[in-house]
Amino acid sequence: MDVIVESVTQIWPGQHGAGVMALDQITHRFPSRRFTCLLGPSGCGKSTLIQIIAGLEDASSGTVKIVDPAAPNLGHRIGADSVMVWQNLNLFPWRNVIDNIAFGLEMRGEPKAARYNRARALISSVGLQGFEYHLPGQLSGGMRQRVALARALIMERPIMLMDEPFAALDAQTKIVMQEELLRIFEKTHKTVIFVTHAIDEAILLADQVVVMTARPGQIKEVIDVDLPRPRSLELVGTKAFGELFDRTFHLIREEVMKSLVQQSAALEAR
Amino acid sequence: MKPRTRSLAEILELVLPSLVIALFILGWELLVRWHGIAPIYLPAPSSIAVYLVRMIVDGSLLFNLGVTLLRIFVGFCIAALAGVSLGVFMGMSRLIAKISDPWIAALYPLPKIALIPLLVIWLGTGEAYKIVISAVTGFFPIVISTYAGIRQADRGLMKAARDLGASDHQIQIKVVIPSAIPSIFAGLHLGMGVTIILVVAAEMIGGSSQSGMGYLLIQAGQVMETEKVFASLVVLAVMGAVVNKLQNWLDRKVAPWTTYHDRH
Repeated sequence: MDVIVESVTQIWPGQHGAGVMALDQITHRFPSRRFTCLLGPSGCGKSTLIQIIAGLEDASSGTVKIVDPAAPNLGHRIGADSVMVWQNLNLFPWRNVIDNIAFGLEMRGEPKAARYNRARALISSVGLQGFEYHLPGQLSGGMRQRVALARALIMERPIMLMDEPFAALDAQTKIVMQEELLRIFEKTHKTVIFVTHAIDEAILLADQVVVMTARPGQIKEVIDVDLPRPRSLELVGTKAFGELFDRTFHLIREEVMKSLVQQSAALEAR
Repeated sequence: MKPRTRSLAEILELVLPSLVIALFILGWELLVRWHGIAPIYLPAPSSIAVYLVRMIVDGSLLFNLGVTLLRIFVGFCIAALAGVSLGVFMGMSRLIAKISDPWIAALYPLPKIALIPLLVIWLGTGEAYKIVISAVTGFFPIVISTYAGIRQADRGLMKAARDLGASDHQIQIKVVIPSAIPSIFAGLHLGMGVTIILVVAAEMIGGSSQSGMGYLLIQAGQVMETEKVFASLVVLAVMGAVVNKLQNWLDRKVAPWTTYHDRH
């Protein structure tokens, strides 16, 4: 499934009638079965963009289309082919692990035995055996992250939308989860759109890094990451990785500076 | 691993609270004895205990406590059922919320004790009046907390549910109501507190009753049996504490996840 974003603009209504422009004329084709990272400074509207793609926010103007390259004339409803993994996970705190993972199937009306079977298979593939009946509050950050991942994977939707899913994890757990995600991606080859503000994470995971500007969010540059797959963390030390990192870093640095100026201006205005 | 040896602070934390209570009672006893204070003003703890035992033995304590607890239970159940349902409906339908809002805004701040004369005119001084006054009072904190809990449901969870294919109706049932549970429980605690107050107060009002802890208190007061007054107060205090603990235990039993909620 290709995700085609055409001149998407998002303006948040502000005080005194003047809106705040979060996204300015974003146009991009996210290629099918590829891993794309949206990289940009905080407040550049990347989370907004991914929610518009998920059909959970309406853009002020512009369109999002989901197209199967094999059958380009078939219409697809926004949101029906994608599933989101959230920055703050959004696990249901009153549901245990298995009922969190099986939530989507339950909403679809699948009988309990069937949905538990599927959920169990995913629980063992993400290494959560023995924790089926634990509540999210009883788990560590990394384990909760796995529950969120499994809850999305069980939907078997061709597009995965990930909004800084590892941002809240400690450095070691983050590394483990990144390798886990690489393994899953290389097995399933879904279309992944992954929001991050970490350059190394973007280059490690992605086939393509879309660098965004500070607010209003525009696409500054698209960097192709032609590093071989399967990838692992050893990639980080290589020369090719370093070159891509430097190039991306220089692009992002200007934008972070701009965003800092914006933020301090906003603080002074208060 | 927990350290095996308890620190001094921990030992003090364990021992001091009971020690302070014991010293307080001892001081009270000594004060009354040394100064020869008349029991009509301040009875010694030992004579209060004697009265307490006497009330247990003759069965009057058990009977009156049972009657009061039954009234509290009935009043609270009505308040909880009505309050939670209306709160949920208000949270789900703007129309119902708009209609209910002026009524709640006007009636909530009204001291419910002020309704007693009216209710006595309408219902007499029997069981109906005591239950209605306590149910009406308990109803307001419950409906307000429930409504607030439903309205403050986590938007992120609602979005996540929608993304996973839940319909609007499923989001209400499977996400909004469960996420309001901590707030509903808080309302039930407040509601229980005022129900207890109003039942005892209603029992105390002008000969309205021949039974209950409030009746026992007012009777003892009128004949200056101060020991009995104190004994009844002790029982009421213990009853309140036990009901509260029971509610906490039930909360944890019904919704264990609320105890982990702060860990994010």
